[in-house]
Amino acid sequence: MFDGLIMLGAGLAHFMTPASLFNVVWATLLGLVIGILPGLTATMGVALLVTLTYKMQADQAILTLMCVYLGAIYGGSRTAILLNIPGTPANAAATLDGHPLALQGKAGLAMGLATTSSTLGTLVGIFFLAIIAPLLSEAALKFGSYEFFWLALFGVIISGQMTGSDTPLKGYIAGILGLLVAMVGMETLHAHQRFTFGIQALGGGVDLIPAMVGAFGLAEILSSMKRTAVAHIAPVNDRVVPTFKEIFRYWKTIIRSGIIGTFVGIIPGVGEDVGSWSSYAAAKRASKTPEEFGKGSQEGLIAAETGDNAVVSAAMIPTLTLALPGSAAAAVLIAAMLIHGVRPGPMLMVENPAFFYQVVAMLLLATFANLLFGLSLTKVFIKVLAVPRERLMAVIYVLCVVGSFAITQRMFDVYVMLFFGIVGFILREMKYPMAPLVLGIVLGDLLDLNLRRGLLLTNGDPTPFFTRPISAVICLIIVAIILMSIPAVSQRVRTIFKRSGGSQGAQG
Amino acid sequence: MSSIDPAISPPDAPERHTVSARIRADLITAIVLVLFGLAIVYFSWTMDRLEARRINPATIPGLLPLILGIALTACGGLLAWRSWRLDLPGSGAALIRALVSWPALRVIAVLGLALVFTLVLMGRMPFALAAGIFIFTFIMLFETVLADEPKSLVATLLWAFGIAAVGGGGIWYVFERIFLVRLP
Repeated sequence: MFDGLIMLGAGLAHFMTPASLFNVVWATLLGLVIGILPGLTATMGVALLVTLTYKMQADQAILTLMCVYLGAIYGGSRTAILLNIPGTPANAAATLDGHPLALQGKAGLAMGLATTSSTLGTLVGIFFLAIIAPLLSEAALKFGSYEFFWLALFGVIISGQMTGSDTPLKGYIAGILGLLVAMVGMETLHAHQRFTFGIQALGGGVDLIPAMVGAFGLAEILSSMKRTAVAHIAPVNDRVVPTFKEIFRYWKTIIRSGIIGTFVGIIPGVGEDVGSWSSYAAAKRASKTPEEFGKGSQEGLIAAETGDNAVVSAAMIPTLTLALPGSAAAAVLIAAMLIHGVRPGPMLMVENPAFFYQVVAMLLLATFANLLFGLSLTKVFIKVLAVPRERLMAVIYVLCVVGSFAITQRMFDVYVMLFFGIVGFILREMKYPMAPLVLGIVLGDLLDLNLRRGLLLTNGDPTPFFTRPISAVICLIIVAIILMSIPAVSQRVRTIFKRSGGSQGAQG
Repeated sequence: MSSIDPAISPPDAPERHTVSARIRADLITAIVLVLFGLAIVYFSWTMDRLEARRINPATIPGLLPLILGIALTACGGLLAWRSWRLDLPGSGAALIRALVSWPALRVIAVLGLALVFTLVLMGRMPFALAAGIFIFTFIMLFETVLADEPKSLVATLLWAFGIAAVGGGGIWYVFERIFLVRLP
């Protein structure tokens, strides 16, 4: 326990240098601007910035990316409140009560509440990160190929299930497509080239960064430019800094939303938007005044913003301990860590425990920078909101091209970015979620390698995949998730539970 | 073909058109996915099994792609069945309307400009110039011809020129001079 605290202190001290603090300041401000500008998402910002941090030291590069990630998730709430457009998908729930508050002349209060609840949400997530990650990391050391196979599959399935908007089928399809992308190139067990069709550049597989820049950069540009409606910015005439009473009268909501956000963050590939909506729904159910939700409820706004920010910190739990990205942006962070020679996974706590606590310190620094800038730079951010997207998107596209080209300096990656941009846009328009696709690309190799390695160990006998205790549990969970996504089955299960609940009530 | 699912039943007419267009688009995509899945199954089945290297038959490179191909075909089939069940008369017309619309034209314009910049301009002239031309054309097009409320031509021209110069030159300077990236 004390070792952890000492290492966290060392992590914080590590970044108390002018260069690190300078990186925190500019990266947080950049993240805030990215979050505020509609059409630019946290994942896109992190993916584009990987190029700029390429030549930095590993700790500084990850610090910068983390500040951008956290800043963007928080910054999006400004747009949700003032424009009624979520700055990033994570802030969609914040529009429901944030904008009505702004229309009531309480835009400043709404922004203040969003800022402080974001900070508290991140702190709840950091608390659980510091507690759970070391334990999970230790448990994961006992995992073998069989468990990692199921974990990778679980990540793709649960992400598909929870993010598929009109049907989980689309989430599953997106996940399978991502896994298929990962199958392209040289496989790791026998060094055989798959699906390259004689194209030499495909031999090394599809790089995650250009694919992400396409799926989250170009696809966002196309989606953003498709819309013609111009939103009106709500005026800010009241104070921004909330009182302690205004915040802490909803302490139960803050803790509940923080825990829900943490839980969602731990689940691989289920991002901030799910955390935000889940917290909002739970707060509405538990509220004494649910009728105010959607009409400018301060509690609703606090729940939404606490929930999505808790996800950011909690997403680092599976990311660092299992190398399973907790969100789409975390997938880019994994790629960035690998570029800089940091290998996330169960061995991280053994090989490089200081780095883990440095990540916790990075989150703390980014959180306090968000709080400081969020409460003090309101007028500047309103000016950012007024930037016409026609002038912005052209520059962003040039950055997408440079961002995908710069790491390996080959045009092939730019073509990959274009391909994923176009396919990503079409999939988005048809309501296919992007998170399972990304997760599939990241986890494809893990899934493939562990499946065949497991079979090799048993000379082709698949029994251990189903009989080892942890494997069996994860396998059963996956089967349950898939069965529950079939409407007839889930309805039948609900009826059974209602009936048994009813009969128990009658007996009691 | 039955009536629309109440769970996704749209509240108003424009939204209803969007949903019905999406259902038809889902049907078409599902058929494409089934064909793609079958192609993956074929290529995985015929993939080299490395028998010459005497590898364990359970570890052939095509194993997971084969499973994924079957899974994609199954999911595509289920999506096709779902979409066919939800499909409404007039869905095809709604889809065509969505594809031939003002927003679609804007998307095609962005894509066209992006492709010309990436595939034609880049590499044929200095990067800063290519980026500048792209940014200038993009802003001019979307603030005048493709804008709902076109802005003053002179102001747009000045802004477009300024942003093109600063954006194109700035990105070139930052990456090529500061980060030492050799741009195409």
